[in-house]
Amino acid sequence: MIDKMTCIQCPAGCELEVGEADGRLEIRGNECEKGVEFAQNEIRDPRRNLATSVPVKGNATRMVSVRLSGPVPRDRIFPILDAISGLRPEPPVRRGQVLISDVLGSGVDVIATRTINE
Amino acid sequence: MNAGMLPAVEKRDVVVIGGGPAGMTAALGAKRAGAADVLLVERDRNLGGILNQCVHDGFGLFLYKKSISGPEFAERLAEDVEREGIAVQTGAMVLDLGPDRLLRLNAPDGYRLIRAGAVVLAMGCRERTRDMIEIPGMRPAGVLTAGSAQALVNLQNIRIGREAVILGSGDIGLIMARRLTFEGIKVKGVFEIMPWPGGLERNIRQCLKDFGIPLELSRTVVEIRGRERLSAVVTARVDERLMPVAGTEEIVPCDTLLLSVGLIPENELAKRAGIALSPLTGGAVVDETFMTGVEGIFSCGNVLHIHDIADWAAAEGLAAGRRAAEYVLGLRSLAETVRVSAAGYLRYALPQAVHRGARDVTVHFRVARPVRGLKVEARGVETGRRCGGRRLARAIPSEMQTILLKGPIEEDIEVGGHD
Ligand SMILES: Cc1cc2nc3c(=O)[nH]c(=O)nc-3n(C[C@H](O)[C@H](O)[C@H](O)COP(=O)(O)OP(=O)(O)OC[C@H]3O[C@@H](n4cnc5c(N)ncnc54)[C@H](O)[C@@H]3O)c2cc1C
Ligand code: SF4
Repeated sequence: MIDKMTCIQCPAGCELEVGEADGRLEIRGNECEKGVEFAQNEIRDPRRNLATSVPVKGNATRMVSVRLSGPVPRDRIFPILDAISGLRPEPPVRRGQVLISDVLGSGVDVIATRTINE
Repeated sequence: MNAGMLPAVEKRDVVVIGGGPAGMTAALGAKRAGAADVLLVERDRNLGGILNQCVHDGFGLFLYKKSISGPEFAERLAEDVEREGIAVQTGAMVLDLGPDRLLRLNAPDGYRLIRAGAVVLAMGCRERTRDMIEIPGMRPAGVLTAGSAQALVNLQNIRIGREAVILGSGDIGLIMARRLTFEGIKVKGVFEIMPWPGGLERNIRQCLKDFGIPLELSRTVVEIRGRERLSAVVTARVDERLMPVAGTEEIVPCDTLLLSVGLIPENELAKRAGIALSPLTGGAVVDETFMTGVEGIFSCGNVLHIHDIADWAAAEGLAAGRRAAEYVLGLRSLAETVRVSAAGYLRYALPQAVHRGARDVTVHFRVARPVRGLKVEARGVETGRRCGGRRLARAIPSEMQTILLKGPIEEDIEVGGHD
């Protein structure tokens, strides 16, 4: 066996056992196909999404929640958080609006996850 | 009060109390099932409930088939509520509810009295506090529940400290461990009194292990130190009886302690209406239509029993709302009910009552401790007749499970969980 890991693709949180047979990965313990894909990625290139919130321009306590449009390599999380921390979007902000596109060349966007009208 | 000053009694078909995911879907369910006049009441300025402060993703996997954040989930539901033309009253707190379904509420334009054909309770839950777990020591600033920390950080942009310790490994605490790490706050460890974690495995993986935050099981906080501001906590290992073991104390310097030690259904209104509560769930005793012991009053979401996942609370709201409409429209079964109880590894089973003759009833349950190879079986108490069964490779207390009773149900049922 190479590794034990928890699949984080859904709340079931299956315990995966990853082994190797004839040079191919063998994955057990998954309740669905997403678990296989997760284990393969987790070994080659673990990725995570991240979410935070930032204040709107001109109001330090009015917050817009944001997340990435897709997962990024785990070691890029903190550099991207740094890039987001100075963000002060100007209202109105729409849910789904791109606030930083292709953040730090990662290929994913920072998007707003709530609507702020005024 | 002078009777002449009382406002006139308004009439509504269905009133839903609480505008979180369960309340919003309850209003949608009632409207779609044919209730003409549905009113959704929320004390906050916005709909959404707890979802507004849960900015992380992982919501909507079941309802929308993709992973979105809490605020996105809330806005989508709120848009559905608006599209269906459901009346919404925000900024209004329901102060009292009678068994005759008379509601008294404090609304922005004054006091209102409403007589409802049916009421759906969807008030959510509150967190257990330091008082309830009785940690000795000083009372400095810096001790707060994980959920209030979440609200301060995500909604108000308040920096809550520099170095934190988390007591309890419930999901909200785990998610806050990651959130604080993102904010540049050092999380020194999560201490859990039980020998197993309180939250979902996926959250232990992605909120603690990803960031090298230690999780210490069978260990708790035995003392709080600091005068003005928290300066340290003392932790200790506990024995099988959960009593601290002398000589195992460790001082952990920190300025912030988050408590993630459980949730309690918010049932003050249910008590006022005379609704019987279950000591096992903290919520109302309901039948399979989500009706409580008081006719015409239904319950769903976290006020009924604690849900780990907002999607399930929303699904339950939809069903409860539909049943409330059926009650108002006179479509409800008048059969008597039989009882459903839990045994073996199961801590509780819900609903606690089922109408005689009912078929295909989904029963929710939780186990009291982690088990591998769990066999769950539902049987008639008198005849021993089997009416449902399921095998689970593993079950943990933090995960709500279901089993289907095929029926027709003719007698009291016991749902047992065994190795
Ligand atoms: C702090 C916290 C964090 C959580 N994080 C997650 C998470 O990350 N992921 C997840 O899947 N689940 C999470 N949960 C679980 C989550 O609560 C449920 O999944 C879901 O939000 C429950 O929905 P609800 O509608 O039952 O309750 P809530 O969302 O709590 O909504 C209840 C609403 O009722 C209103 N209300 C209460 N009393 C009255 C009254 N008398 N009059 C008018 N309005 C009233 C409240 O203001 C509130 O808006 C969390 C729970 C808490 C407490
Ligand atoms: S394998 Fe499938 S069911 Fe299991 S946690 Fe992963 S996504 Fe969920």
